[in-house]
Amino acid sequence: MGAAGSKLEKALGDQFPEGERYFGLENFGNTCYCNSVLQALYFCVPFREQLLDYYANNKTTGDVEENLLTCLADLFSQISSQKKKTGVIAPKRFVQRVKKQNELFRSYMHQDAHEFLNFLLNELVDILEKESNAAKISPEASSPSEKVANGPRTAQSNGVQKEPLVTWVHKNFQGILTNETRCLRCETVTARDETFLDLSLDIEQNSSITSCLKNFSSTETLNAEDKFFCDKCCSLQEAQKRMKIKKPPHILVIHLKRFKYIEQLGRYKKLSYRVVFPLELKLSNTVEDADSEYSLFAVVVHVGSGPNHGHYVSLVKSHNHWLFFDDENVEMIDESAVQTFFGSSQEYSSNTDHGYILFYESLATSSKS
Amino acid sequence: MMNNTSNSNGMISPSSTSTNTQSQQGLKTYFKTPEGRYKLQYEKTHPVGFLHYAQGKTVTQVSIAHLKEKSAQAPTSSSSSSLSASSGVRLAAARLLGGGNGSRALSFVGGNGTSKTVVGSSKIGSLGGLSSSNSLVNSNYDGKGTYLIFNVGDTVFISDLNSHDKDPIKSLHFSNSNPVCHAFDPEAKDGHDLLIGLYSGDVYSVSLRQQLQDFGKKLVGAQHYNKDGSVNNSRCTSIAWVPEGDGTFVVAHADGNLYVYEKNKDGTGDSSFPIIKDQTQFSVSHTRSSKSNPIARWHICQGSINSIAFSTDGTYLATVGRDGYLRVFDYSKEQLICGGKSYYGAVLCCAWSMDGKYILAGGEDDLVQVWSMDDRKVVAWGEGHGSWVSGVAFDSFWSSPTSDDTGENVMYRFGSVGQDTQLLLWDLVMDELVVPLRRPPGGSPTFSTGSQSSHWDSICPIGTLQPAPSMRDVPKLSPLVVHRVHSEPLSGLIITQESVLTVCREGHVKIWMRPGYGESQSSTSETSLSTNSKDKPPLSAKVGSSSYKH
Repeated sequence: MGAAGSKLEKALGDQFPEGERYFGLENFGNTCYCNSVLQALYFCVPFREQLLDYYANNKTTGDVEENLLTCLADLFSQISSQKKKTGVIAPKRFVQRVKKQNELFRSYMHQDAHEFLNFLLNELVDILEKESNAAKISPEASSPSEKVANGPRTAQSNGVQKEPLVTWVHKNFQGILTNETRCLRCETVTARDETFLDLSLDIEQNSSITSCLKNFSSTETLNAEDKFFCDKCCSLQEAQKRMKIKKPPHILVIHLKRFKYIEQLGRYKKLSYRVVFPLELKLSNTVEDADSEYSLFAVVVHVGSGPNHGHYVSLVKSHNHWLFFDDENVEMIDESAVQTFFGSSQEYSSNTDHGYILFYESLATSSKS
Repeated sequence: MMNNTSNSNGMISPSSTSTNTQSQQGLKTYFKTPEGRYKLQYEKTHPVGFLHYAQGKTVTQVSIAHLKEKSAQAPTSSSSSSLSASSGVRLAAARLLGGGNGSRALSFVGGNGTSKTVVGSSKIGSLGGLSSSNSLVNSNYDGKGTYLIFNVGDTVFISDLNSHDKDPIKSLHFSNSNPVCHAFDPEAKDGHDLLIGLYSGDVYSVSLRQQLQDFGKKLVGAQHYNKDGSVNNSRCTSIAWVPEGDGTFVVAHADGNLYVYEKNKDGTGDSSFPIIKDQTQFSVSHTRSSKSNPIARWHICQGSINSIAFSTDGTYLATVGRDGYLRVFDYSKEQLICGGKSYYGAVLCCAWSMDGKYILAGGEDDLVQVWSMDDRKVVAWGEGHGSWVSGVAFDSFWSSPTSDDTGENVMYRFGSVGQDTQLLLWDLVMDELVVPLRRPPGGSPTFSTGSQSSHWDSICPIGTLQPAPSMRDVPKLSPLVVHRVHSEPLSGLIITQESVLTVCREGHVKIWMRPGYGESQSSTSETSLSTNSKDKPPLSAKVGSSSYKH
């Protein structure tokens, strides 16, 4: 381990970024799904910074009850405060907490990294919302005695305006989609907004992320069995529907639907399609012509030919260097190596390392959030 | 796979046919255009079972080479005495056999069959076995002809363009590093007309004819530049002869540098260049010693230069790269003229129109940009690819059906290929370009035609680079033809007078004959081809050489 660490340090030389830590994560038996996502999140700098801020602020309040948020903050702070620049850390407490919290992840089975990311972000949001609510009712809520039972129930009865809270997790990851439906009879457009923390895209062979996003926003006609109930016409009508991005997130997380349920087979199958993703991206399916540019900074890669087994690794861009994280191991890779994770244009290929979750950060200043 | 190959040395064709039909299900062998059908005439590929281990690392590129009838003088001073001595005999033999490309293919197959029993060694493909057992076959390579040069893995293959034979007639194996780019100069005054750039940064110049005459699988009579990457050890990305450059050529590298070399010149002098102070700035430095080769280094951009192309007359050099910029330089003045950024992502390919007025560029934003040299900006975006655009080319032989009517209605036909496995053809009519008006967000777009100039900003000053345009500010083109041509992502496109050539990353080349061509037998089309190339050699030759190659 030590040798590997020094190898990376040697490779970076005096280019080793000031204050940055590159630590591998120990695998506790099929926890690579967790490790790969953790690395991507750690190198999501705004997220990491806000989490470390949170950790610094909460440390002072004494013994807070352990939850996923505190465990994650603990882990990130543990990594960032290491004396050595490289090495290996065991995310034991965090993994235990995950297994305690969600029985899905309790087994030693192969887990889905996207499901885990989804679970983790939603859990963090829940915890932050609860804390905020608790803080609203009692300013002195930080005192341990009062903290226990004064649940959010009292908060609501107090008549406090229940606005959806925008936590720092939201500020980073949340975007708004708008689902526009146009009734083909009365031409009325009904728009329904929904928030998202990531976009799940259907994929096609030999396509690009750009074209997958285009398909995501393509117009769909609702007819026959699938008509739309128009409020104005007060009846089922043919309609056109499309999804657009109303507010692009600061961190755009794109999940490629590589695991597809094949009805004829009665099971899930991994799609190894070649889907190219550029290092820079713009969203053209926005409501406003935003033209804001994103830059790729992390890729969670699924290794293996099937959905129920395999391995997860991650590629991370930090200070203009690309790094390859495979549980304990951290290596430097060339930017051009990213393209070896696009997928394969033949169904049966020896290359089974495929980009699965892509993390893009907006290059525009975060003033928009 | 391996065993299969070595055993089936004499039976290449049946097995390669079956492989192909299997992998190309659902692919049509023609596509329709307003002027008629383009038909798949030939397919060229590496020998079946040729294992290219490092395939992921290199992408196949293709060049066309027209070899003219050999002149009376000895072709190359560097060729060995035995070869030049026997050349008269070989010419005679070629005439006896017909001399045409069609008969060459025949004799090739024949030779292959007779050599079957002789071949004992496990050479890859049929070629090695053939040339070592039957030397007479090589005598055919003396005459004029059109050849395809393409790299796959660690090998450069040479195929006869006008034969039905799928397998190459020659393979050049590189043991040190993979070949990644090449260029042919039909106007070369002395022997060396073919350039090959390697992954290691090394560059070779050779005589194509001499390679075809040789029996081995190694380069012969080669001049080696940037040996072991001594000047620059980053990957070669694109290579081009300077038009009318008297043997000068340029090599682009993955670290954003481009070097100028003079062929046949030994680099005995000091070829060191000063350290680049600002990676983001364009700078040119010349070597102090007149004996050194390369003679100059152009630092163009941060990150890789992905492709370069000279305008037909050699005045301008266009480069595209990882940083997303298309740049246009005045080559002799060594000056940046103009350039601009893609919508987003790296740019992968570029090509000039014959008249030097427009440049096509394609890349990771799935768009085909049309850059106007007059306006110094992008004048249209072609939308239609479902993945990255990897090859672009103008059709210089296309004549617009409406061009006689007004005279002002300039029309261009161009093509593009992408990693979506598709070939797209486009028509560019300047008068019909519509510029979307600025519109309130969410509203439906309104268009204005005609007086587009009022919506356009004034021309930017010389030497400045344009930022990425906004989606709503650039007129969009729709493709005229969308055709899925291969089962693998495409990597290159060449448009010649007779045909459209498409190549995929894995090294399969398809030749699509224009309507009216290739309907008769191959010998006829070959005749027409050679006549044409004789009539206007610079035109057809240039299309096949560096500037139109991706």
